[in-house]
Amino acid sequence: MILLWGLPLDGPLAAVHEALKRLEVPVVLLDQREVLRTDIELVVSSKIEGVVRTCDLTIDLSRVTAVYLRPYDSTRLPNVRTAGSGSSAWYHALRVDDALWGWAELTPAVVVNRPTAMASNNSKPYQSGQIRSFGFRIPDTLITTDPSAAREFWATYGTVVYKSISSVRSIVARLTPEHMARLDTIAGCPTQFQQYVPGNDYRVHIVGNAVFACEIVSAADDYRYAGRQGAPVEIRSCELPNDCAERCRALAAAIGLSVAGVDLRYTPDGAWYCFEVNPSPGFTYYQEASKQPINEAIARLLAQ
Amino acid sequence: MLVVVASRHDEPAKALVTRWAAHDARLLTCEDLSVAGWRHYSDGRRPSRAVISGREVGVEEISGVLTRLPCVVEHELTHIIPVDRAYVAAEMTAFLTAWLTGLRCPVVNRPTPTCLSGPNWRPEQWVYAAAQVGIPVHPLHRRVSLGSQPGSAVSHSKPVTVTVLGDRWFGSVAPEVAIQARRLADAAKVELLAVRFSGPDPGCSFVSANIWPEFGSDDLLDALLAYLNEKRRTTY
Repeated sequence: MILLWGLPLDGPLAAVHEALKRLEVPVVLLDQREVLRTDIELVVSSKIEGVVRTCDLTIDLSRVTAVYLRPYDSTRLPNVRTAGSGSSAWYHALRVDDALWGWAELTPAVVVNRPTAMASNNSKPYQSGQIRSFGFRIPDTLITTDPSAAREFWATYGTVVYKSISSVRSIVARLTPEHMARLDTIAGCPTQFQQYVPGNDYRVHIVGNAVFACEIVSAADDYRYAGRQGAPVEIRSCELPNDCAERCRALAAAIGLSVAGVDLRYTPDGAWYCFEVNPSPGFTYYQEASKQPINEAIARLLAQ
Repeated sequence: MLVVVASRHDEPAKALVTRWAAHDARLLTCEDLSVAGWRHYSDGRRPSRAVISGREVGVEEISGVLTRLPCVVEHELTHIIPVDRAYVAAEMTAFLTAWLTGLRCPVVNRPTPTCLSGPNWRPEQWVYAAAQVGIPVHPLHRRVSLGSQPGSAVSHSKPVTVTVLGDRWFGSVAPEVAIQARRLADAAKVELLAVRFSGPDPGCSFVSANIWPEFGSDDLLDALLAYLNEKRRTTY
């Protein structure tokens, strides 16, 4: 039995669910919206066993052969938020999440992806160290609380972007003269600056040994938010050079990710830069444009 | 310089810094991450700088680190406006993960992506790991149901603690028990670990494990200092 955990309308989860149904394999969706009606029992010794119960389902976790994890933070679900931080509903949601994440660490089932493996993206500079060891270039980076160091770095590279250090999502943006006046505020918290790397963006989805590459053509600093800059985005399927594809595959495997979204940029002088490896990629954005059957590949990975 | 990374409310960490004052020990807290002076370059070609106990230092001056902090938490960031605390806590934790990983000196315990000091394992993961290395365990039950309280742990009449530090161990237990604790530390890939057993004799069962041992023993503290110095000489 294959277990899906998340919100039914989440794009990647729904796409994988549909693909699994077409494969006619046993699949069960643990709807995160049912968190306040979800009970869990776990028993751990040299193995892990347990049961998850909702109003409609009883899932024997020992029978789960594969699991696809796409949950959001349950405390942000409307009914939990309404109950409020510190309420019994809020604590229950936390305990459900923690129990299921803990089970996902230990179950012998195929897990896409194990929580520990996904954590490498919690620190982008940490992950950059892993990326560099696989032969990709990474942008020269400064993390600083020192405004004078930021100004020096800016002067060195001419064009510089800033982005979050953690996985808390932020928009990548170029540093502009307007930022100069408030650069002193970086003393309060380490801030990450990177040399701007010109070139074309590529998103590479790794699914097991399969590689799905897309070229993204956009003039925006961060193509995910190109609409805000009034910049069009074109996404098209492409082939990567073999050595680059192999490095993406090896990088994802080394981090422990059987499904990953690798963000690359190819420069005019022929260098491949890698910005990050997304451990829970929202692949449907790319699949809709490229027509690549990524959900089918994930379904086959789970079903094998 | 020895650096102890800790909460600013961690009194044992402060006491340790005082004890190691002759070795230029200093406390690094989240407040230091809100002081101008940090420079961390990815390329390693330019000198990186840190702020420790409010003072700017070259990273090459740091000879060893003891980490007693799993992550930076919001409620310690009283100097940050409330609306920004969650984001700043995540950013500081992510930065420390990378910074500690990149240090070219002994770091006990080394960070992982889930924790600034070793793995951030749940009790279930410790029980499972203990069982995998051959330590007798009692099955751990967890029940989650709305309105129910977390279950209480199995009580053990006289649990004993053995603390592993590299190849050494501290605690009044049989050598066989200490060897089991060492195996568990190896499985968790940590150098410093306190493991509680149901008793001191062979065959006793696993109770719990703690990445942040209590510093009750002078012998342990002296050994920790010697360990950091020796490891720097032999490894870096």
